[in-house]
Amino acid sequence: MKIYLVEHAIGAFAFNDRGELVDYVHNNKEIGKVVDYLLENEEGEPLPSSLELVKKVGAEEVVVEDEREVQKLQAKAGVKVTYATSHVGARKFRESLESFALSTHFASTDELYNYLHQLSLELTRRKLRKAAQRRDLLAIQAVRAMDDIDKTINLFSERLREWYSVHFPELDKMLEDHRQYASVVSRFGYRDAIGNKDELVELGIQEAKASRIIDVARKSIGAELSEADIRALTSLSDSILRLFQIRDELNEYVDSVMREVAPNITALVDSSLGARLLSLANGLDELAKMPASTIQVLGAEKALFRALRSGARPPKHGIIYQYPAIHSSPRWQRGKIARALASKLAIAAKIDAFTGRLSSDQLVDQLMKRIEEIKTKYPSAPPRQESQKQESQRQKGKRERGRGDRRRRGGRRR
Amino acid sequence: MSEVVSIYETNMLNIFRCEFEDGTVRLCTKNLSPGHNVYGERLIRYNKIEYREWNAFRSKLAGAIMKGLKESPLSVGSRVLYLGAASGTTVSHVSDIVEASGKVYAVEFSPRVVRELIMVAQRRPNVITILADARFPQRFRTLVEAVDVLYVDIAQPDQAEIASYNASLYLKKEGHLLLAIKARSIDVTKEPEEIYKREVEKLSSNGFDVRQVVNLDPYDKDHVMVLAKYEGK
Repeated sequence: MKIYLVEHAIGAFAFNDRGELVDYVHNNKEIGKVVDYLLENEEGEPLPSSLELVKKVGAEEVVVEDEREVQKLQAKAGVKVTYATSHVGARKFRESLESFALSTHFASTDELYNYLHQLSLELTRRKLRKAAQRRDLLAIQAVRAMDDIDKTINLFSERLREWYSVHFPELDKMLEDHRQYASVVSRFGYRDAIGNKDELVELGIQEAKASRIIDVARKSIGAELSEADIRALTSLSDSILRLFQIRDELNEYVDSVMREVAPNITALVDSSLGARLLSLANGLDELAKMPASTIQVLGAEKALFRALRSGARPPKHGIIYQYPAIHSSPRWQRGKIARALASKLAIAAKIDAFTGRLSSDQLVDQLMKRIEEIKTKYPSAPPRQESQKQESQRQKGKRERGRGDRRRRGGRRR
Repeated sequence: MSEVVSIYETNMLNIFRCEFEDGTVRLCTKNLSPGHNVYGERLIRYNKIEYREWNAFRSKLAGAIMKGLKESPLSVGSRVLYLGAASGTTVSHVSDIVEASGKVYAVEFSPRVVRELIMVAQRRPNVITILADARFPQRFRTLVEAVDVLYVDIAQPDQAEIASYNASLYLKKEGHLLLAIKARSIDVTKEPEEIYKREVEKLSSNGFDVRQVVNLDPYDKDHVMVLAKYEGK
């Protein structure tokens, strides 16, 4: 039988010469794997699903779309292969991609396009990676700039709150969020101008709170200000809002660069924590050389060296404390989770630095399983006495060292 | 920046005109990812809808519309194959026009600008980014489908051939082609008019029915935008 082979991100499809679908084999839905297949396919390597399909149909002759695939398919599948661009099957398939995805139960239209979108981003990032040179340094600078901006925002916001409180002291306590506070000052200026609930809601403030603010603004005990006073205030609040905007843009930029240079790290922890790890290690290559135990305490150097010097207990985690499963878990689980995460990060960093292949699904899976295991195995705090024993050991250690020091000092004096 | 007086839809679907207080009129499109701009363009809120200004000096499609393109082949839900997507300026407006149900397959070959394109695509689920050479359309066959509109802006000497080849693979019959021709990148020694004529002839002999040729001056010097309908070979 002669089949017309169509290869697509969703799978391999065989058509007969009347343009009817004979059979199909879907691709694995794991994006990391499909990216690998598609990269090889661009060099003329048949998709694994195509090989499976040719066998399944028992085809004697296969017509492919790309000239470069002829020889390789012939060798691998052992059938006669020819090529024709835009053949009957190709036309048929691409005219109704959605309905083929639906009728072969690959995915609904929304899922299909969501899948293609994700896949195209991942594939493009992989190709960009080849052209990349030390782009990890850019992510590092950007994430440091983000930290600087955070500090500046806090500094300016504190000043704005104190300053605007001369005019409207009650607002400080009512709006905890710096961004909302700054946008209220920037939008209205005078507290008397705050009168429309919809305008407040548009700034992201809840309705009940908005009504309360309007109410309080009427009865405020603050001083009256002149036009010039208000202008100075609003220009400061505008600057704060602009800083928030730059921060958002930087965040998105860091995300984009991180997904390109370190896709596996970014999949394990989010892009900003990933970039902070790179920043502490001074680059992806350096991070890849680190053992998991070092990665676990990156960012807690002060506590670590204090522990080494004094014999106190070492830190359980450094910057990876920001990982939600660590800081939201009870104290006695954190160290275990930190160790599990750090070991996966060490693997991910090595993959990212040396191959760039996306194998995060597997890593994330294993990590989630381990975290689950820790949570079920250690649901409650360890018995009290154990920690007392540790405590007394630590004390003893300190005492011994203390005595030793004294003796040595005495010796020198002699 | 002066205030917006009014915004109304042109005779083309989802393409709007925005009148400003000082009398200037500019194009804009409804923003598919509200709150974000792509190339520093102004965001305008009008009747609770956010629009993005569409700069005719930055985008040849906007230039063509300002210069009297008669019909726009783009509608809600259109599938578009966009060759020469660059950093995604025009792509983002096309993505606005076809809305979430439409798809834009954005092909670009230069890694440097693809980095910017990918930032645009991250926020727009209807943009499929493809880093590939438009000369070899088989190499991106695993990502695309048949399209209603083929948009070509690649500034290559053989762009008419590249466009025709891509059309033969992916453009639906009765689909439309929008082709931006930059005279200087085809042949610097010849008169622009002569080049346009020759390129249009090439398209005709490849199964296109050329509907309109729009000169983009003053937005782009020595450029035209060609609108053609595909009859198939």
